[in-house]
Amino acid sequence: MMSEAVLNNIKTRRVVRAMTDEPVAREQIEAILEAARWAPSGGNLRPNRYIVIQDAATRRLIRLVSPGMFQQAPVLILICTNWDVVAEHNVPPTDRALLIDIGTAAQTMLLAAQALGLASGPVTSYSKEAVKIILNLPASYSPEMFICIGHKAEIVQTGMRAWKKISWRDLTHWERFK
Amino acid sequence: MIDWAICAVKQAEPHETVSGGQSTLMSENWVLKEEEAVELLALLITSARIQMEEPAHYGPLRLLTATERLSAMIVERASEKSRAFLQENVDRIPDMHMAMSDGEAYIAALDERCRAVAACLLRHSCPPEEE
Ligand SMILES: Cc1cc2nc3c(=O)[nH]c(=O)nc-3n(C[C@H](O)[C@H](O)[C@H](O)COP(=O)(O)O)c2cc1C
Repeated sequence: MMSEAVLNNIKTRRVVRAMTDEPVAREQIEAILEAARWAPSGGNLRPNRYIVIQDAATRRLIRLVSPGMFQQAPVLILICTNWDVVAEHNVPPTDRALLIDIGTAAQTMLLAAQALGLASGPVTSYSKEAVKIILNLPASYSPEMFICIGHKAEIVQTGMRAWKKISWRDLTHWERFK
Repeated sequence: MIDWAICAVKQAEPHETVSGGQSTLMSENWVLKEEEAVELLALLITSARIQMEEPAHYGPLRLLTATERLSAMIVERASEKSRAFLQENVDRIPDMHMAMSDGEAYIAALDERCRAVAACLLRHSCPPEEE
């Protein structure tokens, strides 16, 4: 039964691009951050750092430099790479594990939000340089992806229709290529 | 075919345009506040930058997002002639994004807006009715 709940959570999560301004409880935000801590990380290095933004003025400024942020979410979690950690472990900056780490953390947070009955959506279409200035990020932090968290607004969703219907079978090959 | 019937709408006083120094008949109403203009400017500059790393079809999406935001900023202060256009055409842009994966439908929807904006320009630039 438990496994069914987890699988359903994965299948029913959709990006939400219209949110209400109802605040998100602090415990729920912390639960999402704790879930991200348990996401798999290459070499168990954990180079990601998370910045939680709830202040309305800061959120507004971020949205103004983020053309791909359609939602006005009450909580933004910015996933950053901390390059000091990367350097400390002599990881080449081009190592793709660094990008994959962002992906595992992001998906874990999206699913945690879904499990808590919250709406969420990732955003990468923003100006990195502008975000660095607005958040006064340390030089060793690069802003990699926003996770918007909030409550779904009951209006018709703006979003992209699938390019074509796909099932997992279309995405899968078994064994060897002939 | 141009619908000259819309030229029957009475116009506001003419003023000089910045671009060609030519006289046009567009209303002199201020419809955008400085804060709004700067917000729009931020959207346009950051869109230009992120477009360098994103798929080409995101370009129209960003321009339409800017169109939507500009429309929301000015719709209440716009003249009747513009407001009808904004309400009938720009308010429906979010539905259009859904059709992005259907190239032909997307182009048809964009063409429809282009015809509508041309008609709106004509409404603004037709000479005043003879007394
Ligand atoms: C790396 C990555 C970047 C994304 N960036 C954005 C973004 O900037 N804005 C946005 O609205 N959605 C963004 N998305 C969400 C995708 O558009 C969305 O996951 C996809 O359309 C499928 O929808 P679904 O997750 O609801 O099934 C991003 C997703 C990923 C994985």
